[in-house]
Amino acid sequence: MSQVTKRTRVQRLADSVLPGRVLPGRTVGGYANLIEARLRKLAATGSTGMLPMSGHGDGGIFFRDGRVVYAQSSRTPTPARRTVGLAALGLVTTEAGPPSNGAELVAAPSFDRLVDMLALTEPTIDAITELLSSESRYAKFRPCDYPPSGQMSPLPIETVLTEVERRRQVLRQLAPVVTADSPIVRFAPRDPPSFQVSASQWALLVRTGDGSTPRTLALALGRSVFGTTIEVYRLLALGMLVVPGHAQAITSGAPAQRPAEVMSFMRALSDAGGPNA
Amino acid sequence: MILPAADELLAPVMAIDGFRLACLIDGSTGMVLATREFRENHDGPAPTTAAAGAADVINALTLLNGRLATGENLEDVMVTFSDSFFMVRPVGLDQQPQILLLVIADRQRTNLAMAHRSIRDFCASFTA
Repeated sequence: MSQVTKRTRVQRLADSVLPGRVLPGRTVGGYANLIEARLRKLAATGSTGMLPMSGHGDGGIFFRDGRVVYAQSSRTPTPARRTVGLAALGLVTTEAGPPSNGAELVAAPSFDRLVDMLALTEPTIDAITELLSSESRYAKFRPCDYPPSGQMSPLPIETVLTEVERRRQVLRQLAPVVTADSPIVRFAPRDPPSFQVSASQWALLVRTGDGSTPRTLALALGRSVFGTTIEVYRLLALGMLVVPGHAQAITSGAPAQRPAEVMSFMRALSDAGGPNA
Repeated sequence: MILPAADELLAPVMAIDGFRLACLIDGSTGMVLATREFRENHDGPAPTTAAAGAADVINALTLLNGRLATGENLEDVMVTFSDSFFMVRPVGLDQQPQILLLVIADRQRTNLAMAHRSIRDFCASFTA
């Protein structure tokens, strides 16, 4: 007699017809684990192709020989050629496009080479963090879909998932104060105190206007949504930006009423399951 | 690590006497990009934990610098533990993204001044 429950059989049938469909009442966290299990299976079988994702933004994760080489999401910027000077700050526009391939990185100076590698890798990790949210669903794997040019060095899926989990923990810490989709405005007190900001923070400040969120700023500047959310959090901690509704709490509320102003990468690591997680 | 091809970039800092561990970290996200360990660093600090701690320290000091508003830049951080030195330096003061170099060295075998100079020279040559 079969030990498979009726609910499991129904889910399997639904997956065979509409891959990624979730049965009512099924925990979304559990489905996120199913996506990770699917990714691990693709890695274990040495797959090459693309796993389409939908739900929390459309996109896909590309594999080559079982390793992740690229990902894109409609809710995060795509890789762009590295810019310098004012263009890097988003203050002037340049003709930016994705790098043609990795060969040009070999002869570059070391810092430029490192930053170019990061310019390919960060958008991919940023996109996967977005795609692996609890609202995402995956569709049928497409073995014939190859990633666009400018892919990063192939990464093991466990390395990617470990980094994604670390980022989730950081975002959980930030969530009571700001998320990637929180509206933010510049704080303009009558007697502003002196502050010092980096060029990167200044670029965010000058672009913040009505309806700005960390995500819209990241998309406008071609930066990581995750990194921009952290940078906005720092500006909130400095009191230069506010989340409407939180203004008094951050700048003048009693300590007990203020949101946590301490973000910790170490705490994110331990919350994600320890240094070797 | 996220950029395994970048591990070789850290080879010069392995020449520091008493070297135990070095990491390159994306300061904006806390992501460890590359790491090199001394071969006998079995009981030493875990690279991910050390890197997360270094990113937290720089984050706190950057906020302090922002509030002080003296017009200065953070050049490096030296922390002395009973058995080791922790040294963190942004690679390039005005570079974006902000990449941090973390070096951990054995206190008994390291000349701090020489190590400081080596790290400074490495960062200068790295961005040249």
